Amino acid sequence: MGKAGISDKQVVVIGAGPAGLTAAYELTKFNQRPIVLEKRENVGGLARTENYKGFYFDMGGHRFFTKVEEVKKLWHEILRGNFLRRPRLSRIYYSRKFFYYPLKPLNALIGLGFWRSVLIALSYVRWQLFPYRLEDTFEQWVTNRFGKRLFQTFFKTYTEKVWGIPCSELRAEWAAQRLKDLSLKTALLSMFLKPKTQIKTLIDEFHYPRLGPGMMWNAVKDEIERRDGVVRLNCDVVRFNKTGSRIDSVIISCNGREELIRGTDFISSMPVTEVIKKLDPPPAPKVLQAAEKLKYRDFLTVCLIVKQPNLFPDNWIYVHDPDVRVGRIQNFKNWSPDMVPDLTKTSLGLEYFCTEGDALWNTPDADLVELGKREVDRIGLASYADIEDGCVFRVPKAYPVYDSDYRDHLAIVKQFVDGLENLQTIGRNGLHRYNNQDHAMLTGMLAVRNLVLGERNDLWSVNTDQEYHEELRVDAGVEARDVEEVVQAALSRIFPKLDRVALGLSVGMAAGLLLFLATLWLVLKGGVVVGPRLRLLNQYFPWYSVTASGSVLGFAYGFAVGFVGGWGFAFLRNVVIFLYMAVIHRRANVYLLRNFLEYL
Amino acid sequence: MTEREKAPEEVVLTRLLRLNAVVHGVVAGIVVGLGVFIATNWLVLKGGKVVGPHLSLLGQFFIGYRITFVGSLIGFAYGFFCGFIGGYFIARMYNWLVDLREGKNQRHG
Repeated sequence: MGKAGISDKQVVVIGAGPAGLTAAYELTKFNQRPIVLEKRENVGGLARTENYKGFYFDMGGHRFFTKVEEVKKLWHEILRGNFLRRPRLSRIYYSRKFFYYPLKPLNALIGLGFWRSVLIALSYVRWQLFPYRLEDTFEQWVTNRFGKRLFQTFFKTYTEKVWGIPCSELRAEWAAQRLKDLSLKTALLSMFLKPKTQIKTLIDEFHYPRLGPGMMWNAVKDEIERRDGVVRLNCDVVRFNKTGSRIDSVIISCNGREELIRGTDFISSMPVTEVIKKLDPPPAPKVLQAAEKLKYRDFLTVCLIVKQPNLFPDNWIYVHDPDVRVGRIQNFKNWSPDMVPDLTKTSLGLEYFCTEGDALWNTPDADLVELGKREVDRIGLASYADIEDGCVFRVPKAYPVYDSDYRDHLAIVKQFVDGLENLQTIGRNGLHRYNNQDHAMLTGMLAVRNLVLGERNDLWSVNTDQEYHEELRVDAGVEARDVEEVVQAALSRIFPKLDRVALGLSVGMAAGLLLFLATLWLVLKGGVVVGPRLRLLNQYFPWYSVTASGSVLGFAYGFAVGFVGGWGFAFLRNVVIFLYMAVIHRRANVYLLRNFLEYL
Repeated sequence: MTEREKAPEEVVLTRLLRLNAVVHGVVAGIVVGLGVFIATNWLVLKGGKVVGPHLSLLGQFFIGYRITFVGSLIGFAYGFFCGFIGGYFIARMYNWLVDLREGKNQRHG
């Protein structure tokens, strides 16, 4: 499909989050006038910024850090001078102490105390020596890598808070998938292509819009409208009208009034499960059931306004302590000073992970604010008396859940959605994929390229796995695919084992032949004394002589010595490679340990 | 873990290395050639009444070789040639044996 062929298209974009707005914005660059439909009263989706009495609250805390060049370019293009570069500080609160995050060994040692550190080290050794034979659960997966005590200290409570199920029930596959970019291959890649500066940057600082992510998305909305696109808020898509394998139109509900919107193409970032449920006629029961079984995790933010100019230096704090229910605390003033209208005050966002409809989710706002005040006081971050106001924002479907069956269900849903000719799903929930904001945006960009340029980008494969490739591209100035291929080729050339017997035999053969030919050469040359020096070899090789029969014996000796030499060389080389790989693996695990929470 | 994730570990633990015979030959050739070249020039620079009586025995095998600077160049050429042959031979034979052994293992597996 060429650019000229799209002039008669009417593209409907469902969802005004990062993915949907990016798609619409990109469409306007191709002279399209997309219609964006958003069910909420504001834009930004999962990356929206809420406003309460002039205080801005970022739902989740969104660092603007990406290795996707197109996304980076778009951010700067939209916000220009309103894009701040902010230092990052985050800590873990556990057992009434604060630990730097990413973990710093000395700080962790001091915080945990000597004996506890020794016990953690012993536990680590114990689990290295006698790991779980099967890694079925998240608990087993982490324990096998870091030991039981470290797991209980730094991973268990927070993970359980985030996902709401015991680590012993969370599938190991989830951890393996979420953390796969820290595999041995990644570690090897990092050694070859040195992306350490990028990782360091990720740890130390990030970009952030002056008034939170909402500022970005409001600016994108304005830009879309300036280019004759339409963004309609408070419009919930209640039905997709389908004929055959095409969507003809959608029925939207705007302020209680239903309306039909026709389109030639549809790009949707609404949860893919809802798309399936809202199709008319409905898909096969198998597809509906699969969609039904895809689950989400939600959270709510209790926003508190504190009468103190400075509370703590962190951007956010992970709360691992099981004595309080809060999972993460954001200090928005440290994200951007402009997030608060009055610099004598501080605004906090206490994030409680829950599931839509559960007891916490249904708790009245006033009670939640009260809970937040008590917990923040208990942790010691702010005094109860200093908290002057608060409110609550709920964020449904914040995280797609990777449970044991999700892959199978998603495969069915994906197959069905792929069969719809003029619908592309994008974004975190459109793809039921734990993508960050930048990757959600990338799916929007790629969807537009598919539509306008006729490309065939697989949106479902845009995920964290890609991040590493981008990191490499940034650092090494090479294309990701090239890197992948080069590394795979290098791995298969450099790192496999040397066959000891084969090398022993071939070196033995070469050495044997060398001695055989050298002896024979001197014998053929003849002379009064034949090969007096070479004969000295019989000091080591009994009965060897520089004669025709001696050359055969020489061959045997040469072969034996060569075999031992070749075999020994191969053995030592394999040992060194194995140790080298073990060191690399260890480094990858240490990196994983230090940055684990980033991936939850 | 998916097959793709397993790949590096699998590569290291289960696959056998193949050698590039030409590269192996060239490297071995350079090592041996340089060895003879440096050893010869070292003795030339040291000097003495009889220069390198033992190394000159290489002349038994390398016709025209002697302990002089020109001889060191000839020695380099001979060394390179012999090293190349040796390295190339070892690599080719190693690869052949590995193929043989892996093929056998696969048939049994």
